[in-house]
Amino acid sequence: MILWPWSRMRGVLSCRQAARAIQSYLDGEADDVTGSAVVAHLEVCRQCGMKAATYESIKDALGRQSSPVEPEVVTRLAAFVDELVHSGTPEEPGTP
Amino acid sequence: MHDVPATSPRVRSPRTAAGQTDPADHERSRTDPADHEAFTRLVTPELDVLYRVARTLVHRPADAEDLVQDTLVRAYRAIGTFDGSHPRAWLLTIMRNTEINRNRRRRPVLLHDADMVRGVSDPGTEGQPEESLVGGAFERAVVRAVAALPERHAQVMTLVDIDGLRYAEAAEALGVPIGTVMSRLHRARAQVRRRLTAEGLAPRGGTS
Repeated sequence: MILWPWSRMRGVLSCRQAARAIQSYLDGEADDVTGSAVVAHLEVCRQCGMKAATYESIKDALGRQSSPVEPEVVTRLAAFVDELVHSGTPEEPGTP
Repeated sequence: MHDVPATSPRVRSPRTAAGQTDPADHERSRTDPADHEAFTRLVTPELDVLYRVARTLVHRPADAEDLVQDTLVRAYRAIGTFDGSHPRAWLLTIMRNTEINRNRRRRPVLLHDADMVRGVSDPGTEGQPEESLVGGAFERAVVRAVAALPERHAQVMTLVDIDGLRYAEAAEALGVPIGTVMSRLHRARAQVRRRLTAEGLAPRGGTS
């Protein structure tokens, strides 16, 4: 959770302040006070509202690019962990 | 996205994977049974995210599984010194250092294809259903715009927007402060938005 310096400023953001806070808000990283300030700003600022909508679309588009990790990869890595804890790793040179 | 081969051709044993290490990581080379259990319990839920992040960090997608394995070996050696809190952050820090050392050993680093570096690739147009053309065009433009970003900006967007990391986790993976993650993310997204606007795919706006 990101605490912004204007969190105590009763929620009034300039467009420049809003520009960064919007991104943290869309990422779910803004504190509640900042989130409320962003929402309040977007309700009255059409320009920032359009930008926020674009940022949200960009984030959604990239989120759809996320492909699941192939189950066999996770299975192999889990087997690797199992082998690691049971057979260990080689001693390093100079390790007692 | 993440056009990674389903399987790495190099499935290594821990003994093979452990071949390249840094003396600084050798807090332990053997652990007791309690540590075995703790290690398995800590890392197993993180294997998926470790692999996702590895796909973003490595220059060649085929190296992602190797990077995770090397990370696991280093983590296993250090489990005795880990306090048990925030295992994902701990593992991401180890992964970042492991990748730095792997690159150092590999010098000179070969220049790589943009789509391989960022873990993003143009989804292309073949097989796109006609009815999804508008959405598909936007998505492809976003992917192209991210691929055109400087690597450090593309990486942070990939880690947060595709791999789903929190800012703090992305900061661990990249070895930078959270403020740097936020700053890079802000610049990267603004650049992507400007490109989309120039292509007529997003409305014009004011500052950044």
